[in-house]
Amino acid sequence: MNCKHLFAIALVAPALALAQGKPGDPQIAHIVVTANQIDIDAGKLAKSHTKNKEVQAFARQMITDHGAVNKQAGALAKKLGVKPEDNDTSKALKKGASENMANLKKLKDGAFDKAYIDHEVTYHQQVLDAIDKVLVPSAQNAELKGLIEKVRPAFQAHLDHAKHVQADLGKKK
Amino acid sequence: MKFVPERLEVAAGDRITWTNRDIVPHTVTAQPAGVESGELAQGRSWTYIARKKGEIDYLCRLHPVMRGTLVVK
Repeated sequence: MNCKHLFAIALVAPALALAQGKPGDPQIAHIVVTANQIDIDAGKLAKSHTKNKEVQAFARQMITDHGAVNKQAGALAKKLGVKPEDNDTSKALKKGASENMANLKKLKDGAFDKAYIDHEVTYHQQVLDAIDKVLVPSAQNAELKGLIEKVRPAFQAHLDHAKHVQADLGKKK
Repeated sequence: MKFVPERLEVAAGDRITWTNRDIVPHTVTAQPAGVESGELAQGRSWTYIARKKGEIDYLCRLHPVMRGTLVVK
């Protein structure tokens, strides 16, 4: 068992920490696509639910950016002949996402905005940790590794943006 | 996730081309100066002709943390 990987899984789902070793490229490709899709879905929900302009703009950015990354990831997987393979990390991500979506759907207005943005801060931090500790060190193919390294600054900018919105929402109380 | 170089000096009448080498789309926007590239997808370029002397502070409308300055001499 790879300790670094165990740590990253622990961030998204402690119960699944023992389920998997170091991911191979097909698993990594699946994790990348899943992680992006989750944030696109949350962004779409936020876009239709929020009345806050800042949250609206953030959600639109998530849909655009994570959509662009997934388009690129899909094209690369096809080019390399890597078939994305479902795995325990992807399953843990999806489980966490469906719990988050179920929670968000119960909320309205300010409570919705706060819960969405708080989750986006945590989620982007987790994804950045996973990129640094698991995905980049484990990726075998240089182009796949390069793609993950290339999207990292965008995810960092999302985290900074989410924290900025979080601070602004906090001031409104 | 930044403009390279962040500060560029050009002469009035020069053509300046921005190319998006990132995966996510970006814009070159300076509203007071009327500069707006529209969304540039990966690999897309946009050219602006700097006619008026002065400094133009611009940003990416989608990622306002990205900022740059064009100095037209």
